[in-house]
Amino acid sequence: MIRKGEKMEVILMKELLGANDELAAKNRDYFKRRHILAVNLMGSPGSGKTTLISAVAKELGGLRTGVIEGDIASSIDAERMEREGIRSSQINTCGECHLDANVIRQGADRIDLKDAVVFIENVGNLICPAEFDLGESVRLLAASVPEGDDKPLKYVPMFSYVDAVALTKCDLTEAVGFEKQKFLKGLRAVSQAPVFEVSLKKGCPARGVKAVAGWLKKKYEALEKV
Amino acid sequence: MHELPVVLDILRVMEEEAGKRNFRKITRIDLVIGELSSIVGECVQMYFDVASKDSVCAGAKLTFDYRPAMLRCRKCGREFPHQKSFTCPACGGDAVLIKGTGREFYIRSFEGR
Repeated sequence: MIRKGEKMEVILMKELLGANDELAAKNRDYFKRRHILAVNLMGSPGSGKTTLISAVAKELGGLRTGVIEGDIASSIDAERMEREGIRSSQINTCGECHLDANVIRQGADRIDLKDAVVFIENVGNLICPAEFDLGESVRLLAASVPEGDDKPLKYVPMFSYVDAVALTKCDLTEAVGFEKQKFLKGLRAVSQAPVFEVSLKKGCPARGVKAVAGWLKKKYEALEKV
Repeated sequence: MHELPVVLDILRVMEEEAGKRNFRKITRIDLVIGELSSIVGECVQMYFDVASKDSVCAGAKLTFDYRPAMLRCRKCGREFPHQKSFTCPACGGDAVLIKGTGREFYIRSFEGR
């Protein structure tokens, strides 16, 4: 019997940041009920996330698509998406470096889609977004060639977190001396995610977009029917 | 990286637990932190000292148990903790990350009265 005021140790085993995970589970359920493939697209600033969404959404043609744009303050990306005819909603994180599960639901309600592929463009950052589950169906990373071939082993939390990698700006491989084999070796140490080599240089034929769209289409078709 | 929300979460959990057990004071909190969780113990401590001032946790000691990510050698199958290198210490082969390891982040136990 422990007397009042006596020190006592308690084994708790309690996960931290559990609040985000609970909201993420609710989002996951929301997307499932609406037959939505939610794609959490992450990557550094300037890795080509917005350009990739724009090209892949066009390639997905027959499927309904939408975008939830995460940004610290601007609405540049959402406006660009609207101009291109993709339904979008903007979330401003007011300086926060990542999206969390709490803000996703508002963005999803605003675009109000069913039977669709919805891209969630995360804030450009190679660290923090890998700590916050959004309730997405799949995680896609845009890693651009000019960031360097050593990144998988330098940003293990992110590279081991994603389901697929779009290696963007492949047209710059030679210009920046990017060693593809080194990149792939590093990636394979931390992840078995498929890699799609993408190039979307203006005025040149697009490369790799069909492969990314095909991968997403398969994931969409594998969703449980509602 | 997100030590402030983490600290607020710790304080929220501990208020709740202290209430349940009629503890007036929490004297120690033991955290388990995986290497890939991007949480820095020193930062947690710094925020904790400030944020816990007027709470049941004021003056509590934090302990950190860091857990490495685990790797498996492709050649010989040996499992070993990641220590900056992906080369197997036994056979020199290339190793791969065992999915899910190194992401622990929880309160293992605490002490109060």
